[in-house]
Amino acid sequence: MNKKEILKKLSAAEFALWDLHLYLDTHPGDLTAVGLYNKYHKKYMLLREEYEATCGKLSPRSAQGVEWLKDPWPWEKGWCDC
Amino acid sequence: MFMYEKKLQYPVKIATPNAKLAQVIITQFGGPDGELGASMRYLSQRFAMPWGELKGLLTDIGTEELSHIEMVCAVVYQLTRNLSIDEIKRQGFDKYFVDHTTGIYPVAASGEPWTAATIQSTGDVIADLSEDLAAEQKARKTYDNILRLSDDPDVNDVIRFLRAREIVHFQRFGEGLRFVTDKLDCKNYYACNPGFDKNCGC
Repeated sequence: MNKKEILKKLSAAEFALWDLHLYLDTHPGDLTAVGLYNKYHKKYMLLREEYEATCGKLSPRSAQGVEWLKDPWPWEKGWCDC
Repeated sequence: MFMYEKKLQYPVKIATPNAKLAQVIITQFGGPDGELGASMRYLSQRFAMPWGELKGLLTDIGTEELSHIEMVCAVVYQLTRNLSIDEIKRQGFDKYFVDHTTGIYPVAASGEPWTAATIQSTGDVIADLSEDLAAEQKARKTYDNILRLSDDPDVNDVIRFLRAREIVHFQRFGEGLRFVTDKLDCKNYYACNPGFDKNCGC
């Protein structure tokens, strides 16, 4: 996968996870949704690892100094191509 | 506690600068139905919520709105890159530029700075959740109007994503309100406020 594809796939997995997370706030007993959440979580963790290795660290817990400060930042034009 | 993730929730990549459009979009940062107000509203209201389902819902949607602030600001930032003074004047951006240059400032399209006067935190669970339902529809309306005013496909792609999120949040808040009324007095759920009164409900 090139950088653009990784970003797209990571964002899609993250979006699915987040939407299920919100759904589970009001439907905490829905086990089908819990199952889907766990399925997407595995995908997400793999993609996150791949993204961080290719495009740079996502969290201030995983990078400091030079590595954290690397351009471009998400609002800048080059970011989508990471 | 909040921590930053160095990515946008949905990518923003605007090819053509357009300061006139930026002045319309910025209202979803600092305007009366914008993302800053949404986030501050939910993150303030959550302290009055008596049940985990509602504390979670307001925390999570309030946090997602922070990501939407970042996306709206990214759109405005990219729409106002590399403008000449002549373009700034021609596109009516001079009134913003004189105070803020091309910095990002929370302001409505009318020029009114962001104000907490457009949000409420009543400490009343039903009143707050009802306001939240209205807030999501008001934000959806603003995105509809932006789509009526903009013909930039790069901008509209982002705006459509944000618009869809308002609808999802409206749905979740509706379920939250239903959750409260199910818990309260079966004959009259306005009889007490579970955010303040003790032993409130059936």
